[in-house]
Amino acid sequence: MISRLFGAYLLKEGMLTEAQLSTVYETMQKVRVKLGLIAVSEKLMTTQQSDEVNRLQAIVDKRFGDISIEKGYLTEEQVSRLLGLQGNQYLSFVQSIVDNDFMDMDSIEKALSGYQNECGFTLTDMEALKSGDSDRIIPLFLPQNVIGYQLEHILICIRSVIRLIDSDIYVDKGCFTDFLDVENFALQSLEGDNKATLCIAGEGKNILTLAEPFAGDEFDVVDEDSLDAVAEFVNCVNGLYATKMNSEFMIDMLPPEYSASGCKFNGKLLVLPVYIKGVKVNIISTFGEFIGK
Amino acid sequence: MAKILIVDDSRTSRKILRGLLEESGHEVIGEAENGFEGVEKFKELNPEITTLDITMPVMDGLEALSKIKECNKDAKVIMITAAGQQNKMVEAIKNGASEFVTKPFERDNILKIIEKI
Repeated sequence: MISRLFGAYLLKEGMLTEAQLSTVYETMQKVRVKLGLIAVSEKLMTTQQSDEVNRLQAIVDKRFGDISIEKGYLTEEQVSRLLGLQGNQYLSFVQSIVDNDFMDMDSIEKALSGYQNECGFTLTDMEALKSGDSDRIIPLFLPQNVIGYQLEHILICIRSVIRLIDSDIYVDKGCFTDFLDVENFALQSLEGDNKATLCIAGEGKNILTLAEPFAGDEFDVVDEDSLDAVAEFVNCVNGLYATKMNSEFMIDMLPPEYSASGCKFNGKLLVLPVYIKGVKVNIISTFGEFIGK
Repeated sequence: MAKILIVDDSRTSRKILRGLLEESGHEVIGEAENGFEGVEKFKELNPEITTLDITMPVMDGLEALSKIKECNKDAKVIMITAAGQQNKMVEAIKNGASEFVTKPFERDNILKIIEKI
Protein backbone atom coordinates (compact mmCIF):
# COMPACT_ATOMS: atom_id res chain seq x y z
CA MET A 1 0.00 0.00 0.00
CA ILE A 2 2.85 2.42 0.88
CA SER A 3 4.34 2.02 -2.60
CA ARG A 4 1.09 3.22 -4.24
CA LEU A 5 0.55 6.09 -1.78
CA PHE A 6 4.14 7.32 -1.75
CA GLY A 7 4.39 6.72 -5.49
CA ALA A 8 1.39 9.00 -6.09
CA TYR A 9 3.09 11.66 -3.91
CA LEU A 10 6.36 11.42 -5.87
CA LEU A 11 4.39 11.79 -9.09
CA LYS A 12 2.44 14.78 -7.80
CA GLU A 13 5.65 16.49 -6.64
CA GLY A 14 7.31 15.87 -10.01
CA MET A 15 10.04 13.68 -8.52
CA LEU A 16 9.08 10.76 -10.76
CA THR A 17 7.33 10.72 -14.14
CA GLU A 18 4.42 8.40 -14.86
CA ALA A 19 6.66 6.27 -17.07
CA GLN A 20 9.31 6.01 -14.35
CA LEU A 21 6.72 5.07 -11.74
CA SER A 22 5.35 2.35 -14.02
CA THR A 23 8.85 0.97 -14.45
CA VAL A 24 9.35 0.97 -10.67
CA TYR A 25 6.10 -0.97 -10.09
CA GLU A 26 6.96 -3.38 -12.88
CA THR A 27 10.39 -4.10 -11.41
CA MET A 28 8.84 -4.57 -7.97
CA GLN A 29 6.42 -7.19 -9.30
CA LYS A 30 9.34 -9.37 -10.26
CA VAL A 31 10.63 -9.53 -6.72
CA ARG A 32 7.30 -9.90 -4.88
CA VAL A 33 7.01 -13.56 -4.01
CA LYS A 34 4.24 -15.35 -2.12
CA LEU A 35 5.05 -16.90 1.24
CA GLY A 36 3.83 -20.34 0.10
CA LEU A 37 6.16 -20.31 -2.86
CA ILE A 38 9.13 -19.42 -0.66
CA ALA A 39 8.16 -22.13 1.84
CA VAL A 40 8.07 -24.70 -0.96
CA SER A 41 11.34 -23.56 -2.51
CA GLU A 42 12.96 -23.68 0.94
CA LYS A 43 11.66 -27.27 1.19
CA LEU A 44 9.79 -26.48 4.41
CA MET A 45 6.40 -27.36 2.87
CA THR A 46 5.19 -29.55 0.03
CA THR A 47 3.26 -28.04 -2.88
CA GLN A 48 0.17 -29.92 -1.67
CA GLN A 49 0.45 -28.39 1.80
CA SER A 50 0.91 -24.92 0.33
CA ASP A 51 -2.12 -25.40 -1.95
CA GLU A 52 -4.17 -26.62 0.98
CA VAL A 53 -3.32 -23.51 3.01
CA ASN A 54 -4.13 -21.28 0.02
CA ARG A 55 -7.55 -22.96 -0.27
CA LEU A 56 -8.20 -22.55 3.45
CA GLN A 57 -7.45 -18.84 3.16
CA ALA A 58 -10.56 -18.46 1.01
CA ILE A 59 -12.80 -19.52 3.87
CA VAL A 60 -10.81 -18.61 6.98
CA ASP A 61 -9.78 -15.05 7.79
CA LYS A 62 -6.18 -15.86 8.62
CA ARG A 63 -2.78 -15.28 7.10
CA PHE A 64 -0.83 -17.97 5.26
CA GLY A 65 1.76 -18.17 8.04
CA ASP A 66 -0.83 -18.43 10.82
CA ILE A 67 -2.69 -21.30 9.13
CA SER A 68 0.58 -23.11 8.37
CA ILE A 69 1.57 -22.93 12.05
CA GLU A 70 -1.86 -24.21 13.14
CA LYS A 71 -1.63 -27.12 10.72
CA GLY A 72 1.83 -27.95 12.05
CA TYR A 73 3.50 -27.36 8.68
CA LEU A 74 5.71 -24.50 9.90
CA THR A 75 6.97 -23.20 13.24
CA GLU A 76 6.73 -19.54 14.27
CA GLU A 77 10.47 -19.20 13.78
CA GLN A 78 10.26 -20.56 10.26
CA VAL A 79 7.40 -18.16 9.38
CA SER A 80 9.46 -15.22 10.69
CA ARG A 81 12.40 -16.31 8.57
CA LEU A 82 10.23 -16.74 5.46
CA LEU A 83 8.68 -13.30 5.96
CA GLY A 84 12.18 -11.90 6.08
CA LEU A 85 12.96 -13.62 2.81
CA GLN A 86 9.73 -12.39 1.26
CA GLY A 87 10.91 -8.81 1.52
CA ASN A 88 9.21 -5.70 2.64
CA GLN A 89 7.12 -3.84 0.06
CA TYR A 90 8.44 -0.41 0.98
CA LEU A 91 12.04 -1.59 0.71
CA SER A 92 11.31 -3.28 -2.63
CA PHE A 93 9.82 0.02 -3.84
CA VAL A 94 12.84 2.03 -2.72
CA GLN A 95 15.24 -0.57 -4.10
CA SER A 96 13.47 -0.44 -7.42
CA ILE A 97 13.70 3.39 -7.62
CA VAL A 98 17.40 3.30 -6.78
CA ASP A 99 18.19 0.35 -9.07
CA ASN A 100 16.58 2.23 -11.96
CA ASP A 101 18.63 5.38 -11.12
CA PHE A 102 15.51 7.51 -10.85
CA MET A 103 16.36 8.90 -7.39
CA ASP A 104 19.04 8.35 -4.77
CA MET A 105 18.40 7.27 -1.17
CA ASP A 106 18.84 10.77 0.30
CA SER A 107 16.26 12.26 -2.06
CA ILE A 108 13.84 9.43 -1.28
CA GLU A 109 14.24 9.99 2.47
CA LYS A 110 13.61 13.74 2.03
CA ALA A 111 10.54 13.03 -0.09
CA LEU A 112 9.25 10.60 2.50
CA SER A 113 9.49 13.30 5.17
CA GLY A 114 7.53 15.61 2.87
CA TYR A 115 4.86 12.94 2.42
CA GLN A 116 4.74 12.39 6.20
CA ASN A 117 4.26 16.14 6.83
CA GLU A 118 1.62 16.51 4.13
CA CYS A 119 -0.44 13.64 5.55
CA GLY A 120 0.15 14.58 9.20
CA PHE A 121 1.52 11.13 10.04
CA THR A 122 3.65 10.50 13.14
CA LEU A 123 6.83 8.41 13.09
CA THR A 124 4.83 5.50 14.51
CA ASP A 125 2.28 5.92 11.70
CA MET A 126 5.10 5.84 9.16
CA GLU A 127 6.46 2.63 10.69
CA ALA A 128 2.99 1.10 10.37
CA LEU A 129 2.79 2.21 6.73
CA LYS A 130 6.20 0.76 5.94
CA SER A 131 5.29 -2.55 7.63
CA GLY A 132 2.84 -3.40 4.85
CA ASP A 133 0.43 -4.85 7.47
CA SER A 134 -3.08 -3.77 6.46
CA ASP A 135 -4.32 -4.17 10.05
CA ARG A 136 -1.88 -1.45 11.12
CA ILE A 137 -2.26 0.72 8.02
CA ILE A 138 -6.05 0.97 7.61
CA PRO A 139 -6.70 2.60 11.05
CA LEU A 140 -4.43 5.49 9.95
CA PHE A 141 -6.97 6.30 7.26
CA LEU A 142 -10.08 6.03 9.43
CA PRO A 143 -11.59 8.55 11.87
CA GLN A 144 -10.19 7.93 15.36
CA ASN A 145 -13.58 6.89 16.75
CA VAL A 146 -13.73 3.85 14.46
CA ILE A 147 -12.88 1.14 16.95
CA GLY A 148 -14.05 -2.25 18.19
CA TYR A 149 -16.49 -4.22 16.07
CA GLN A 150 -16.78 -1.66 13.27
CA LEU A 151 -13.00 -1.50 12.89
CA GLU A 152 -12.83 -5.32 12.84
CA HIS A 153 -15.58 -5.43 10.19
CA ILE A 154 -13.64 -3.02 7.95
CA LEU A 155 -10.34 -4.86 8.52
CA ILE A 156 -11.90 -8.21 7.56
CA CYS A 157 -13.28 -6.60 4.40
CA ILE A 158 -9.86 -5.15 3.47
CA ARG A 159 -8.08 -8.43 4.20
CA SER A 160 -10.61 -10.23 1.98
CA VAL A 161 -10.06 -7.75 -0.85
CA ILE A 162 -6.29 -8.27 -0.55
CA ARG A 163 -6.64 -12.07 -0.40
CA LEU A 164 -9.33 -12.66 -3.01
CA ILE A 165 -9.27 -9.64 -5.35
CA ASP A 166 -6.06 -7.58 -5.47
CA SER A 167 -2.99 -7.74 -3.23
CA ASP A 168 -1.89 -4.25 -4.27
CA ILE A 169 -4.78 -2.03 -3.13
CA TYR A 170 -4.48 1.37 -1.46
CA VAL A 171 -6.90 3.64 0.34
CA ASP A 172 -7.78 7.32 0.85
CA LYS A 173 -8.83 8.97 4.10
CA GLY A 174 -12.20 7.66 5.25
CA CYS A 175 -14.88 9.77 6.92
CA PHE A 176 -18.34 9.66 8.48
CA THR A 177 -21.30 11.17 6.70
CA ASP A 178 -25.05 11.18 7.40
CA PHE A 179 -26.08 11.08 3.77
CA LEU A 180 -24.67 9.53 0.62
CA ASP A 181 -25.87 9.34 -2.96
CA VAL A 182 -24.59 6.13 -4.55
CA GLU A 183 -24.80 5.00 -8.17
CA ASN A 184 -24.13 1.23 -8.17
CA PHE A 185 -23.94 -0.83 -5.00
CA ALA A 186 -24.25 -4.22 -3.33
CA LEU A 187 -24.88 -4.53 0.39
CA GLN A 188 -25.83 -6.93 3.11
CA SER A 189 -27.27 -6.11 6.53
CA LEU A 190 -26.66 -8.07 9.70
CA GLU A 191 -29.42 -8.38 12.28
CA GLY A 192 -29.35 -9.71 15.84
CA ASP A 193 -27.59 -8.34 18.88
CA ASN A 194 -25.51 -5.92 16.83
CA LYS A 195 -27.02 -4.38 13.69
CA ALA A 196 -24.59 -3.57 10.91
CA THR A 197 -24.55 -3.08 7.15
CA LEU A 198 -21.63 -3.50 4.78
CA CYS A 199 -21.86 -2.02 1.30
CA ILE A 200 -19.55 -1.70 -1.69
CA ALA A 201 -20.45 1.12 -4.07
CA GLY A 202 -18.92 2.61 -7.18
CA GLU A 203 -19.51 5.14 -9.94
CA GLY A 204 -19.80 4.19 -13.60
CA LYS A 205 -18.22 0.81 -14.21
CA ASN A 206 -15.82 1.03 -11.25
CA ILE A 207 -17.51 -1.73 -9.28
CA LEU A 208 -16.51 -4.23 -12.00
CA THR A 209 -12.94 -4.01 -10.68
CA LEU A 210 -14.14 -6.17 -7.78
CA ALA A 211 -16.87 -8.17 -9.54
CA GLU A 212 -14.67 -9.61 -12.30
CA PRO A 213 -11.88 -11.19 -10.22
CA PHE A 214 -14.34 -12.49 -7.64
CA ALA A 215 -16.66 -14.14 -10.18
CA GLY A 216 -13.79 -15.18 -12.46
CA ASP A 217 -15.80 -13.69 -15.30
CA GLU A 218 -15.73 -10.63 -17.56
CA PHE A 219 -18.59 -8.14 -17.46
CA ASP A 220 -19.20 -5.40 -20.03
CA VAL A 221 -21.72 -3.49 -17.96
CA VAL A 222 -22.84 -3.02 -14.39
CA ASP A 223 -25.90 -5.24 -14.35
CA GLU A 224 -27.55 -7.84 -12.14
CA ASP A 225 -24.84 -10.42 -12.90
CA SER A 226 -21.91 -8.23 -11.93
CA LEU A 227 -23.65 -6.73 -8.88
CA ASP A 228 -24.62 -10.21 -7.73
CA ALA A 229 -20.91 -11.11 -7.75
CA VAL A 230 -20.14 -8.07 -5.57
CA ALA A 231 -23.03 -9.05 -3.27
CA GLU A 232 -21.54 -12.55 -2.93
CA PHE A 233 -18.19 -11.02 -2.01
CA VAL A 234 -19.92 -8.91 0.69
CA ASN A 235 -21.71 -12.07 1.84
CA CYS A 236 -18.37 -13.88 2.27
CA VAL A 237 -16.90 -10.93 4.22
CA ASN A 238 -19.93 -10.83 6.51
CA GLY A 239 -19.66 -14.59 7.00
CA LEU A 240 -16.08 -14.23 8.20
CA TYR A 241 -17.12 -11.37 10.49
CA ALA A 242 -20.05 -13.39 11.88
CA THR A 243 -17.77 -16.38 12.51
CA LYS A 244 -15.43 -14.18 14.52
CA MET A 245 -18.20 -12.46 16.49
CA ASN A 246 -20.56 -15.39 17.09
CA SER A 247 -18.84 -16.22 20.37
CA GLU A 248 -19.74 -12.73 21.62
CA PHE A 249 -23.20 -12.13 20.17
CA MET A 250 -25.80 -13.52 17.80
CA ILE A 251 -25.66 -12.38 14.20
CA ASP A 252 -28.24 -13.14 11.54
CA MET A 253 -27.30 -12.41 7.94
CA LEU A 254 -30.07 -10.98 5.75
CA PRO A 255 -30.14 -11.69 1.99
CA PRO A 256 -27.77 -9.37 0.07
CA GLU A 257 -29.27 -6.53 -1.98
CA TYR A 258 -27.96 -4.62 -4.99
CA SER A 259 -28.97 -1.98 -7.49
CA ALA A 260 -27.60 -0.21 -10.56
CA SER A 261 -30.22 2.53 -10.51
CA GLY A 262 -28.88 4.69 -7.69
CA CYS A 263 -29.86 5.06 -4.06
CA LYS A 264 -29.76 7.62 -1.26
CA PHE A 265 -28.33 6.24 1.99
CA ASN A 266 -29.03 7.73 5.42
CA GLY A 267 -27.44 6.80 8.73
CA LYS A 268 -24.07 7.11 10.42
CA LEU A 269 -22.18 6.06 7.31
CA LEU A 270 -18.46 5.33 7.42
CA VAL A 271 -17.05 5.72 3.90
CA LEU A 272 -13.59 4.37 3.03
CA PRO A 273 -12.38 4.90 -0.57
CA VAL A 274 -10.39 1.88 -1.76
CA TYR A 275 -8.44 1.64 -5.01
CA ILE A 276 -8.54 -1.84 -6.53
CA LYS A 277 -6.28 -2.17 -9.58
CA GLY A 278 -6.18 1.64 -9.44
CA VAL A 279 -9.98 1.98 -9.69
CA LYS A 280 -11.92 3.61 -6.88
CA VAL A 281 -14.79 1.96 -5.02
CA ASN A 282 -16.21 2.93 -1.63
CA ILE A 283 -16.54 0.54 1.29
CA ILE A 284 -19.47 1.81 3.35
CA SER A 285 -20.04 0.52 6.86
CA THR A 286 -22.81 1.40 9.30
CA PHE A 287 -23.41 0.14 12.79
CA GLY A 288 -26.98 0.82 13.85
CA GLU A 289 -29.84 2.15 11.75
CA PHE A 290 -29.38 2.22 8.01
CA ILE A 291 -31.88 3.49 5.46
CA GLY A 292 -31.56 3.17 1.69
CA LYS A 293 -34.13 4.84 -0.60
CA MET B 1 -23.23 -39.20 -11.70
CA ALA B 2 -26.03 -37.39 -9.91
CA LYS B 3 -29.00 -35.31 -11.09
CA ILE B 4 -28.80 -32.11 -9.07
CA LEU B 5 -31.10 -29.15 -8.32
CA ILE B 6 -29.35 -25.89 -7.30
CA VAL B 7 -31.30 -23.48 -5.07
CA ASP B 8 -29.49 -20.19 -4.43
CA ASP B 9 -30.54 -16.54 -4.71
CA SER B 10 -27.10 -15.60 -6.06
CA ARG B 11 -26.73 -16.10 -9.79
CA THR B 12 -22.93 -15.94 -9.33
CA SER B 13 -23.06 -18.85 -6.90
CA ARG B 14 -25.42 -20.82 -9.14
CA LYS B 15 -23.15 -20.29 -12.12
CA ILE B 16 -19.96 -21.27 -10.28
CA LEU B 17 -21.61 -24.33 -8.72
CA ARG B 18 -23.17 -25.44 -12.02
CA GLY B 19 -19.75 -25.13 -13.71
CA LEU B 20 -18.02 -27.22 -11.02
CA LEU B 21 -20.68 -29.92 -11.09
CA GLU B 22 -21.01 -30.17 -14.87
CA GLU B 23 -17.23 -30.25 -15.33
CA SER B 24 -17.22 -33.32 -13.11
CA GLY B 25 -19.92 -35.09 -15.07
CA HIS B 26 -22.93 -34.37 -12.86
CA GLU B 27 -26.17 -33.17 -14.42
CA VAL B 28 -27.75 -29.95 -13.15
CA ILE B 29 -31.43 -30.53 -13.91
CA GLY B 30 -32.73 -27.25 -12.55
CA GLU B 31 -32.08 -24.01 -10.72
CA ALA B 32 -34.22 -21.94 -8.37
CA GLU B 33 -33.54 -18.52 -6.84
CA ASN B 34 -35.43 -18.81 -3.55
CA GLY B 35 -36.70 -21.50 -1.20
CA PHE B 36 -40.31 -21.35 -2.39
CA GLU B 37 -39.31 -21.82 -6.02
CA GLY B 38 -36.84 -24.51 -4.90
CA VAL B 39 -39.55 -26.61 -3.23
CA GLU B 40 -41.72 -26.34 -6.37
CA LYS B 41 -38.80 -27.42 -8.58
CA PHE B 42 -38.01 -30.27 -6.20
CA LYS B 43 -41.56 -31.61 -6.56
CA GLU B 44 -41.45 -31.19 -10.33
CA LEU B 45 -37.95 -32.55 -11.06
CA ASN B 46 -37.38 -35.11 -8.29
CA PRO B 47 -33.57 -34.53 -8.13
CA GLU B 48 -31.19 -37.04 -6.57
CA ILE B 49 -29.41 -34.23 -4.72
CA THR B 50 -30.57 -30.69 -3.88
CA THR B 51 -28.17 -27.90 -2.87
CA LEU B 52 -29.89 -25.29 -0.70
CA ASP B 53 -28.48 -21.89 0.17
CA ILE B 54 -29.48 -20.88 3.70
CA THR B 55 -29.88 -17.11 3.35
CA MET B 56 -32.45 -16.42 0.65
CA PRO B 57 -35.40 -14.05 0.19
CA VAL B 58 -39.06 -15.20 0.06
CA MET B 59 -38.30 -18.53 1.81
CA ASP B 60 -34.95 -19.31 3.42
CA GLY B 61 -33.06 -22.58 3.12
CA LEU B 62 -34.11 -23.94 6.52
CA GLU B 63 -37.82 -23.62 5.75
CA ALA B 64 -37.31 -25.03 2.27
CA LEU B 65 -35.43 -28.00 3.80
CA SER B 66 -38.39 -28.78 6.06
CA LYS B 67 -40.83 -28.64 3.14
CA ILE B 68 -38.59 -30.83 0.98
CA LYS B 69 -38.31 -33.36 3.81
CA GLU B 70 -42.14 -33.32 4.16
CA CYS B 71 -42.36 -34.31 0.47
CA ASN B 72 -39.63 -36.95 0.72
CA LYS B 73 -38.03 -37.80 4.05
CA ASP B 74 -35.12 -39.51 2.23
CA ALA B 75 -34.30 -36.48 0.06
CA LYS B 76 -30.54 -35.75 -0.05
CA VAL B 77 -29.94 -32.07 0.67
CA ILE B 78 -26.62 -30.22 0.90
CA MET B 79 -26.88 -26.89 2.72
CA ILE B 80 -24.76 -24.04 1.38
CA THR B 81 -23.86 -20.79 3.09
CA ALA B 82 -21.16 -18.24 3.77
CA ALA B 83 -19.15 -18.79 6.94
CA GLY B 84 -20.65 -17.48 10.17
CA GLN B 85 -23.94 -19.37 10.18
CA GLN B 86 -22.87 -22.32 12.34
CA ASN B 87 -26.05 -22.26 14.45
CA LYS B 88 -28.18 -22.56 11.31
CA MET B 89 -25.97 -25.34 9.97
CA VAL B 90 -26.51 -27.30 13.18
CA GLU B 91 -30.27 -26.72 12.90
CA ALA B 92 -30.23 -27.87 9.28
CA ILE B 93 -28.34 -31.07 10.12
CA LYS B 94 -30.82 -31.76 12.93
CA ASN B 95 -33.64 -31.27 10.43
CA GLY B 96 -32.23 -33.85 8.05
CA ALA B 97 -29.68 -32.08 5.83
CA SER B 98 -27.08 -34.59 4.62
CA GLU B 99 -24.08 -32.25 4.54
CA PHE B 100 -23.09 -28.59 4.36
CA VAL B 101 -20.69 -26.55 2.24
CA THR B 102 -19.18 -23.15 3.03
CA LYS B 103 -18.79 -20.41 0.40
CA PRO B 104 -16.68 -19.46 -1.47
CA PHE B 105 -16.83 -22.86 -3.16
CA GLU B 106 -13.88 -25.22 -2.99
CA ARG B 107 -14.11 -27.65 -5.88
CA ASP B 108 -12.57 -30.76 -4.29
CA ASN B 109 -14.61 -30.35 -1.13
CA ILE B 110 -17.93 -30.15 -2.98
CA LEU B 111 -17.17 -33.13 -5.19
CA LYS B 112 -16.06 -35.19 -2.19
CA ILE B 113 -19.32 -34.41 -0.39
CA ILE B 114 -21.42 -35.33 -3.40
CA GLU B 115 -19.57 -38.63 -3.74
CA LYS B 116 -20.08 -39.26 -0.03
CA ILE B 117 -23.87 -38.87 0.01
